[in-house]
Parts: sequence; structure tokens; C-alpha cells
Amino acid sequence: MESTSTTALANLVRRAQKGEESALRELIISYQHRIAGFVYAMTGRSDYVEDLAQQVFIKMVRAIDRLQAPAQFESWLFRLARNTCIDQLRRQKLRRIFLPFGEEHENIPEPPGAVDSEELDALRHALAQLRPQDRALLALVQEGRSHAEIAETLNTSVAAVKARLHRAREHLREHYQPEHEN
Amino acid sequence: MRESTFASTTNLNMKTEASAWRALNAHAAAQLRGGFADRALRAAHGPAAVTWRAFFTVGARSLRPGFAERVLRAARVATDIPSLASHFALSASIAAVCLSAVLFVHQRNVDAADARNLAEWQRLVQAADDPDSNML
Repeated sequence: MESTSTTALANLVRRAQKGEESALRELIISYQHRIAGFVYAMTGRSDYVEDLAQQVFIKMVRAIDRLQAPAQFESWLFRLARNTCIDQLRRQKLRRIFLPFGEEHENIPEPPGAVDSEELDALRHALAQLRPQDRALLALVQEGRSHAEIAETLNTSVAAVKARLHRAREHLREHYQPEHEN
Repeated sequence: MRESTFASTTNLNMKTEASAWRALNAHAAAQLRGGFADRALRAAHGPAAVTWRAFFTVGARSLRPGFAERVLRAARVATDIPSLASHFALSASIAAVCLSAVLFVHQRNVDAADARNLAEWQRLVQAADDPDSNML
């Protein structure tokens, strides 16, 4: 069953590589929600999601013809998403050096209703305390990526991924305090 | 009679101590807000899978309808989004051009000053060689 869906995905990617717009549209529609969720986990800001997800998919459209292995499309797409978010967070950090008031504007709390519950708010708060690389690692795991796929995405070994994941989970647990008891 | 007084005093002391402990426990327990056990468990286990899923759903809900169409339109018309590395490369190349311009102008000024000094020295040497000259 899974191999059927992998083959279907590979065929879809091949059609997109030939420039077929309907295939590109189908890929975007299939992955937009997962990429949006990933971007939200990385940035913690729902107002960044649309822009960053758009950047990710524009990069995908432009670079898909260079993808060597269509079967590895998902890993490749999430690598694009991870790198785009980390780039954005670095830009923000640089901007803060030059624009001291930028941070205040960036830290405007989420509008009411944007976060559903105390637990989601706690998770958002805990993720914000982690390094972007660790956030990406946890989000990739939640996205169902295997350790081997993550290792390939991050150009590292499976053992290193496991060690980093263990540390990231520890940090997340330390900061995961619903109702912000700290 | 004496034993009974001792027993009642001890009993009274124990009762006082027990009630003090109870009061202390009650005071400590009152410091905990409702749902303490749940919060402690959540903090120990970390976010549950269902929380993660709900979290990703919040992100997914942030996309406005027609997202795919907007992406395809933007991909067709927009110029390449400059990466952070390309920003650095541009800044570095501008800095290199400015530095070369400064070095070039500086070198030209130094060369001109050298030429002027050399000419002045030659004039002085000629004047020193020629005793009839009254240039000095």
C-alpha cells in the first residue's frame, strides 16, 4: 500500500519536473498543510506561516527539476522548509542587531483565538525556548520522518540524530509547563 | 493519679502536634492550583501526540484559501528570492569594490607625492652641483 503511494508520488513529481502545472498544483495542495504546520512549529507565529510556506513552495517549483530522486521528494521538501525557516530566523536576529525596536514588534502576542488552548500555548512557549535546529528536529519527528530520513536531511549520522533528539526532548520537557508556571 | 496526668499531657501534646501537621499540610496543599496532577504529568511526559497534532493544525489553518494558486502565480512572476548567503555575498562584493577604490586613490596620491618629492630632490641636487646657481 505504502509502495503504491510512493510510486504515485514519484510519478507526480516526475510530471512536475516536466513542468506540468497541474502536477505542481497537486503537490502544493497535498503538502501545504503539513508545511504550514512545520513552519508554525519553527516560528511560533501564525502570521508568518503564509509568507514562509509560500517561499518554500516557490523554491520547490523552481528547483524541482534538479531533484535527482523523485522518491525522496518529501525529505527534500522538508529540508527546503527547514532551511527557509532557519534563514528567516537568522534574518530576524540580524535585524534585531540593527533595529533595536524590531524585537518589540516581532514579539506582539498572538491574537486571541489564534492559539486554541493552554497546552498549545505551553508547547509554543516551550518550542520558542529551543534552538531553531532542535525545533526543526522535533517537528520533523512529529511529521513522521524516520531517523534515517532526518539524518539525510541534516547531512549527519543516525546516531547523531538520536543523540540530538534526546537532548531536544529533554529541553522541551524542561520548558513545557502549561499555564507558564515559571 | 500522677501517671494519668502525664499521659493526658503527652496525649494533649501529641494532639497539638498532629493538628499542627494537619494545618501545615492543608496550608501547603492550598498553595497548589487545581489540576496539579495533570500538569505534573504533562510536564513529566512532555507534549502528547494529540497536542502536537493540534499545534500543526493551528499552523495549517493560517493559510488562506487559494494558497496553491497564489504560489504558482508568484513563482511565475517573482524574481528569485535572495537568500541570506546572497545578501552576504552582495555586501562583501560592495565592500571589496569600495576598499579597492580607496586603495587605488590612496596609491595614486602616494605615487604623485613620490614623483613630486623626487622632482624636488633632483632640483635640489642640480642646484647643489651648480655653484653658480642661486636657487638655494
